[in-house]
Amino acid sequence: MNDMRISERHVRTDQIKFSGRGVRVFYGETEAIKGVDVDIEDKTVTAFIGPSGCGKSTFLRCLNRMNDTIDICRVQGKITLDGEDIYDRKVDPVQLRAKVGMVFQKPNPFPKSIYDNIAYGPRIHGLARTKADLDVIVETSLRRAALWDEVKDRLAEPGTGLSGGQQQRLCIARAIATAPEVLLMDEPCSALDPIATAQVEELIDDLRKSYSVVIVTHSMQQAARVSQKTAFFHLGHMVEFGATSDIFTKPKDPRTESYITGRIG
Amino acid sequence: MNHTHIASAFDRDLEAVQAHIMKMGGLVESAIRDAAHALEQRDEDLADEVRRQDRAIDELETLINEEAARLIALRAPTAGDLRTVLTVLKISGNLERIGDYAKNLAKRNSVLVQSAPVEDATSGIRRMAQAVELMLKDSLDSYIKRDVDLAQDVRVRDGDVDQMYNAMFRQFLTYMMEDPRNITSCMHLHFIAKNVERMGDHVTSIADQVIYLVTGDAPADARPKQDRTSLMAEPREN
Repeated sequence: MNDMRISERHVRTDQIKFSGRGVRVFYGETEAIKGVDVDIEDKTVTAFIGPSGCGKSTFLRCLNRMNDTIDICRVQGKITLDGEDIYDRKVDPVQLRAKVGMVFQKPNPFPKSIYDNIAYGPRIHGLARTKADLDVIVETSLRRAALWDEVKDRLAEPGTGLSGGQQQRLCIARAIATAPEVLLMDEPCSALDPIATAQVEELIDDLRKSYSVVIVTHSMQQAARVSQKTAFFHLGHMVEFGATSDIFTKPKDPRTESYITGRIG
Repeated sequence: MNHTHIASAFDRDLEAVQAHIMKMGGLVESAIRDAAHALEQRDEDLADEVRRQDRAIDELETLINEEAARLIALRAPTAGDLRTVLTVLKISGNLERIGDYAKNLAKRNSVLVQSAPVEDATSGIRRMAQAVELMLKDSLDSYIKRDVDLAQDVRVRDGDVDQMYNAMFRQFLTYMMEDPRNITSCMHLHFIAKNVERMGDHVTSIADQVIYLVTGDAPADARPKQDRTSLMAEPREN
């Protein structure tokens, strides 16, 4: 019962990528995260689940300092990436976000060509010296996002002209073009149809071989399908964190059980 | 934990499938009792009734399987709900097997009434069947009450049934050695005793399911097995 898809679940390394200790987040006077301790493993998909307003997205955004962009937001406690404090004064948030990529709920391609959508990040981070280097990055990223075959003949066309599912995979390709180590995904499939969702989920499973993936989702079935570790958030607390197969068959906390079985929490 | 789902139809479905288990359990309890009674009283009509009733048990099993499949397909149950559906499937399978054994008792009855009764064999079988019937009742109670202690008690009591079977095995061997004319009856009686012992094993499996349902883990300790007949040779002379 520990492994639902045994053949694919052997990639894990048990190396800790992200580590949070006593993390508290305030929006003005409101405390959105009330002391969270968590260890997120490398080469593992970790799902954050919980009802709206439980703090799961807020916590996800702490991991690449997206909350810095909100003036009234304060983050306390310690979050380390490979042992280094990401809120240290020395850390450049832009460099951090190159290492910790993010994909959002709604596909948000730049109003540029498909090619430029992917090439933008590597260009500003100086990852490609020549046009040929850049071509290679664009192709590899699109291939990894399982989009290459669909767009290779129209790289110059605008990214916004793609279908919703293709746009989301384009955003994933864009996120992996800067060779990140962690990929954060905030409801990546909520605007997609079931086929596109399945393609993105398949992609997430594939990406896990190289990256640590953290996904926030409202679909518990999606969390069950794609993740190896699941954290349940409720009212700013991380109530339970454990192996996904345990969370969905024998959760320890009654609040987790109430939530995942669809009872009033 | 709150006990009602936001989707109230989900609650109704879960309750319905568990109600069917209880109904099936009731039928199986009667089948054991009637089969053993028919055997002791050499009552062929009652035995025929047990054989007829087995169809109702089988139909309930089919119904429960369909309902469980529908629950899985439509509701994607998780955690305690998932364990409820899984245990319902297994328990209905156990009950169906117990029903089959009771039917087999009734079938052998029609052969046994044609020969002379073997002294106090059938009353021994009735006592054994009574013990199994009570274990079944308690295991189903423990299921409805989610009572791990009662389920654990049922598991322990299966050891007594095994002991009774050991004793009968010896007894039948002795009778057969004493008088070869007993062989036909004793062979049938032995199968009957063995079948009642197997019923006990299925009841124990139901108790195991209760423990899994409540705790999320199968019982850690191995089932207490006391059936030693596979190691027995000829009975020693007294």
